[in-house]
Amino acid sequence: MQCEEVRKQFADYVIDQMQEPERSLFSEHLTVCEICRTEAEELKSLWKTLGAIPSAEPSPELESRFHIMLEAYKHGLNHTSTKNWWAVVNSWISHWWPRQPVLQLGFSLGLLILGVVIGRQVYSSSTVPSISSPASTEVAELRSELTQTRQMVALSLMQQQSASDRIRGVNWSYQLQQPGGEVLTALLDTLMHDSNVNVRLATVDALRQFGDRPVVRSGVIEAMTRQESPMVQIALIDLAVDLHEKESIPTLRQLTQDRKINETVRERAQKGLAELE
Amino acid sequence: MAETDENLMLAVRAGDVSKLGLLFDRHHRALFDFFARMTGSRAIAEDLVQDVFFRILKYRATFRADSRFKAWMFHIARNARVDYYRKHHPEAVLPEDDTAGFQSPGPAPSHRLEQEEQITLLECAMFKLPAEKREVLVLSRYQEMKYEQIAEVMGCEVGTVKVRVHRALNELREIFLKLSSEKLPCNVKKSGNSLRIM
Repeated sequence: MQCEEVRKQFADYVIDQMQEPERSLFSEHLTVCEICRTEAEELKSLWKTLGAIPSAEPSPELESRFHIMLEAYKHGLNHTSTKNWWAVVNSWISHWWPRQPVLQLGFSLGLLILGVVIGRQVYSSSTVPSISSPASTEVAELRSELTQTRQMVALSLMQQQSASDRIRGVNWSYQLQQPGGEVLTALLDTLMHDSNVNVRLATVDALRQFGDRPVVRSGVIEAMTRQESPMVQIALIDLAVDLHEKESIPTLRQLTQDRKINETVRERAQKGLAELE
Repeated sequence: MAETDENLMLAVRAGDVSKLGLLFDRHHRALFDFFARMTGSRAIAEDLVQDVFFRILKYRATFRADSRFKAWMFHIARNARVDYYRKHHPEAVLPEDDTAGFQSPGPAPSHRLEQEEQITLLECAMFKLPAEKREVLVLSRYQEMKYEQIAEVMGCEVGTVKVRVHRALNELREIFLKLSSEKLPCNVKKSGNSLRIM
């Protein structure tokens, strides 16, 4: 220890508030440094003399004055606070309210948790389960599985030999609210290439529900010129008109000018053009 | 088993103000001693003790269950003393009879022991210390408070108290040595008005 460091601890030494290992290091320094030792002893002696300064005793009047003051205060207190129901209720509540801040915090948190639990109970019993609850997660998973199963059924039925099975497959798509790209591709493929008119017609009807999807809209336009069946062509024209598909205008115009095409189809295309333009 | 100060004070807070009598019995001497050493006047010290117990009643609702009564009481005592010197003339010279116990010895009579002379000189040196320095020494030496307790009373860090005690002790020694060498009369005014709550 250096002298400067030791001097900073003179007060601790004199007041006897020094802890180990500082105390040992301090004493060690005093044995080797005479200047510090002298100064420390002077301060110690000063502290000792300070303790010898006699303390004064209060006069007996102090006590009697205090009791007069206390009695006067009690009298005033009784006079003002009797029948004060507000103060009574306040004091009753404050009696129950915990005094320690930790307990107060705990109590508040307890109330908060209780409120949240009750709130959740009430909410779950009156409305659908919230998204974050385990039960609702299970329901969401089940829904997703069901959709996947329906897609698989629809896709496999559309591959069947029997036309009626293929129609059933097309109709399965009605049960899919958000069909995947695979199902839409299969429907459009059926529309283009299925040999059976009824299947193709059913497909046009089925595609109507997905008219907001760009792939369906472009597929419908493409199919118009490639269809040979007038019935399917008419159904497609009606669909494009119902969907207000402006992109179909050039195709419709082409149909009206094509003399090889069925007259009824041309008329319907003309009508459709008029509606869209 | 005697009730703790804190339980008594909680009873006072709850409305059982007669319990303050017990607290007065336990602490009024210590408080009087503190004020007497700070002001140098018995009369002012007695007035201030009365004031502190009145404030305890008045502000009893502010006593917290986790507070230590003694620290809380001395905190009030410091404020009471500061307020006293704000209201009264800061340079008030104490009545002659009050200061009698603190007079300088002057030339030492032959019968007076050297030890007594030292005590009187040191007492004089204490009153020459600025009040905030005298206060930490009084709390430490006569109320036997540890640094932590003084910090609680003063509402400051323990480190701050440590530094104040260190400086106060050094300054006291310097004044005492000066008085000893010059044998000057102790003509200090024991008003202690310079203390301000930090």
